[in-house]
Amino acid sequence: MKITDRFYKFKRDLNKWSLFLVLIVAAVAIPILTVIFKLFDGPGESWTHIVNYVLLDYLVNSFVLSLLCSVFVIVFGVTTAWLVSRFEFPFRKQLEWLLILPLSVPAYIMAYSYAGIFGYSGLFSDAVGLLGIENFSIDFMNIYGLSFVLSISLFPYVYVSSRTFFLAQATNLLEASRMLGITEFKSFFKLILPLARPAIIAGLVLVLMEVLNDYGAASYYGVSTFTTGIFRSWFSLGEPETAIYLSAILLVLVFGLIIFEKWQRRHIKFTSAKSSKQQHNSRIKPTKRKQLVFSLICLLPVFIGFFLPVTQLLFWVSQTFTKVWSTDFIGITLQSFGIAFLTSLMTVLIALLLLFFSKWNKIGFLKTTSKLGVMGYAIPGTIIAIGVLIPSIYLDKWLIEQGITSKLILNATLIALVYAYVVRFLAVAYQPLESSSLKIDRSLSDSSKVLGKGNFKTFFKIEFPLIRAGLLSAFILVFIDILKELPLTLIMKPYNVNTLAVKAFEYASDEMVRSAALPSLLIILTALIPAIFLNKLLLKNANNS
Amino acid sequence: MKNYFYAVIMVAFVFGCKSEPKEEKVEELTVYTHRHYESDQALFKLFEKQNDIKLNVVNASADELIQKMKLEGKQSPADVLITVDAGRLYRAKSEGLLQPISNKLIDSIVPANLRDTDKQWVGLTKRARVIAYSKDRVDPKDLSTYEDLTSEKWKNKILVRSSSNIYNQSLLASLISNRGNDFAENWANGLVENMARTPKGNDRDQVKAVANNEGDLAIVNTYYIGKLLNSEDESELEAGNSVGIFFPNQDTSGTHVNVSGIGVAKYAPHKENAIKFIEFLLQEEAQKIFAGSNYEYPINKNVEPAKILKDWGSFKEDTLQLNELGENNKEAVIIFDKVGWK
Repeated sequence: MKITDRFYKFKRDLNKWSLFLVLIVAAVAIPILTVIFKLFDGPGESWTHIVNYVLLDYLVNSFVLSLLCSVFVIVFGVTTAWLVSRFEFPFRKQLEWLLILPLSVPAYIMAYSYAGIFGYSGLFSDAVGLLGIENFSIDFMNIYGLSFVLSISLFPYVYVSSRTFFLAQATNLLEASRMLGITEFKSFFKLILPLARPAIIAGLVLVLMEVLNDYGAASYYGVSTFTTGIFRSWFSLGEPETAIYLSAILLVLVFGLIIFEKWQRRHIKFTSAKSSKQQHNSRIKPTKRKQLVFSLICLLPVFIGFFLPVTQLLFWVSQTFTKVWSTDFIGITLQSFGIAFLTSLMTVLIALLLLFFSKWNKIGFLKTTSKLGVMGYAIPGTIIAIGVLIPSIYLDKWLIEQGITSKLILNATLIALVYAYVVRFLAVAYQPLESSSLKIDRSLSDSSKVLGKGNFKTFFKIEFPLIRAGLLSAFILVFIDILKELPLTLIMKPYNVNTLAVKAFEYASDEMVRSAALPSLLIILTALIPAIFLNKLLLKNANNS
Repeated sequence: MKNYFYAVIMVAFVFGCKSEPKEEKVEELTVYTHRHYESDQALFKLFEKQNDIKLNVVNASADELIQKMKLEGKQSPADVLITVDAGRLYRAKSEGLLQPISNKLIDSIVPANLRDTDKQWVGLTKRARVIAYSKDRVDPKDLSTYEDLTSEKWKNKILVRSSSNIYNQSLLASLISNRGNDFAENWANGLVENMARTPKGNDRDQVKAVANNEGDLAIVNTYYIGKLLNSEDESELEAGNSVGIFFPNQDTSGTHVNVSGIGVAKYAPHKENAIKFIEFLLQEEAQKIFAGSNYEYPINKNVEPAKILKDWGSFKEDTLQLNELGENNKEAVIIFDKVGWK
């Protein structure tokens, strides 16, 4: 009986969206599943050795690192987002987009420049030297320094997702609480923080995924984490099986984290945007002194996360420019921009399809499965590359056997590269979209459907305008991420394609950090273009509606 | 503003798309390489020009390239694999990814211990792992061997990078070959006890730490010192000048030497070009470029090393057959983990 009941329920709920959803999830999940299936091969022979000697170290360090980074990014990200969206103060408009910029500095470059700043005869010891203290340097290269470096380059994820939320948040709640005589600060803790939780956590999940799979910064600072362990088992022990095994464990941990987060907010509804009229956002003008303080608070993360490291990079560029510069850089910059732009569009589109197909589909089990699509961000790029290489080479070989082609056609082409990027960065596009679509009251789309409009029409008329801000944030974040991406690009890119990140890495891996400064600066400049442009759109959007 | 933006996108799009080459009958060679040096790019261009062969270069770490070659199997476009250590070539060979090359020119230029016993790979350049000591605080007479670094007098004085680094793994692998497993483990343990700080940073950072008085001795590769001494930065120059170079084990096994090397892929579609390429890299013109811009020791005896390297004098090299570095690599990493060398 029960089984037939279930079957009828399944049959009733099944619609075309479920099928589309399955197709998209399958396409994105193939590389991830490939990695998971690799588990059945078992770990390499050194597995017991790893468990006995180093696994605990990896776990403890990764945990401490995640904890420190969480605290840091929430403090910086949420505070600044709240200030710029609720208050009026000098340079607010500029700070609003300046706060995204630290994201454009690749984490390992940030790590190098901070090591340079605080290291032997760096900026810091020169500054202290002016005060008469000679050869003073701080040991920055440890787990605390690493947490700082990662947090300061990643906090914009939390900033962007919470600001998107604050900007679109109906002010009526705040108006009400103000009328009841509750101070802005009190309502921040009592009202805004609990309401903004999904947005904050969406950003935090991205930060943690990126922290967990950072390799460059951690290995330079000598901190052994899960990911440095993955690389060590592969590169030093020569056991890719063990590396895949470790990343699968990491994957399970992250998947658990996401499921737990969904589960614990299961009864809470976060909808609020009943109609766009209410989104009119009036900023409070505090006293002059407070305004100054607010400006400084927002300037601080921009200063330490952007201006300071960029100053260090500029200094290095001034030393190496004549040696490093060649006209190739113009072409490479354009290529990087083109690839990042195309791929970001693709990624945002697929994230959007994933989100809405999953919404329109009525089978609960599939909704959960669709989360599998965003797991790519938690897997180190090199492992994703294997996950993409295995099926694409398999397909290539099959095509050759069928006599359709004579050599590998997918492997090492733009198609494979873009596909790998999408798998890797889908989460970056998905999180801001999901958190902004969560705010849309279901009654809006439901009434549209009751009135006879189809899913697509409802989407374009109702949902699309409401999540536009989320779409733009998603685009910027993915764009910047792709510009910085490294290990995956190295393995998957076609021969004649070159990116700025690859160029920077070539120098840095040869211990020529100073020469790596030029391509790094170009990455930052390229990332600035859409960041500024889209931020303007975002503001216009928020002000008009 | 908007129009400019679209214009930029269009241009970028065109550049992004023009990546597919036109099918023409050009001679080609696909190089999978771990070397990211500027000298290599100059060499590649020179080879293209001299031989009218187009090079396709894939740049990634040797392990990733090996994995890629394994997955690609018979269809792999790779013709040659270049690595920065002998251990990885040994790994590629044992995975069955390389093929033997009999070539008189190669045999006459490269000493037997620096190429594979089954002719599957050859060294291109040499690098020595030496001791950089503080000129102010250390009398080089107190230095003798790698083994001696574990003695009490160097307590809290030694700087060395992480054991994830292949050069440290090769050094320990050579000790395993020369002195046995137990000795190597004791040595690694003693060295950890003598470290001035937990390992971090790269080779250059170890030298800078000596200059900054965090320790007295740094275990580093020769070419990094060469680069420090030619840096555009004053503090790096200062750091480079503050240390002296000591070649250990001169009265015993000789200083540990590793090679950056090359092998021909088993399924190389352009085997002849690959051999041409190897011959080119071993001959004097190319070897001069290796030596001059990257401060590596040339493998061709007719080419002199860079002036800085010559000033350090000639030294006795460990003549261990380098395949052994590959054979003992895993054991070395396991020892590092056991003794807590981060």
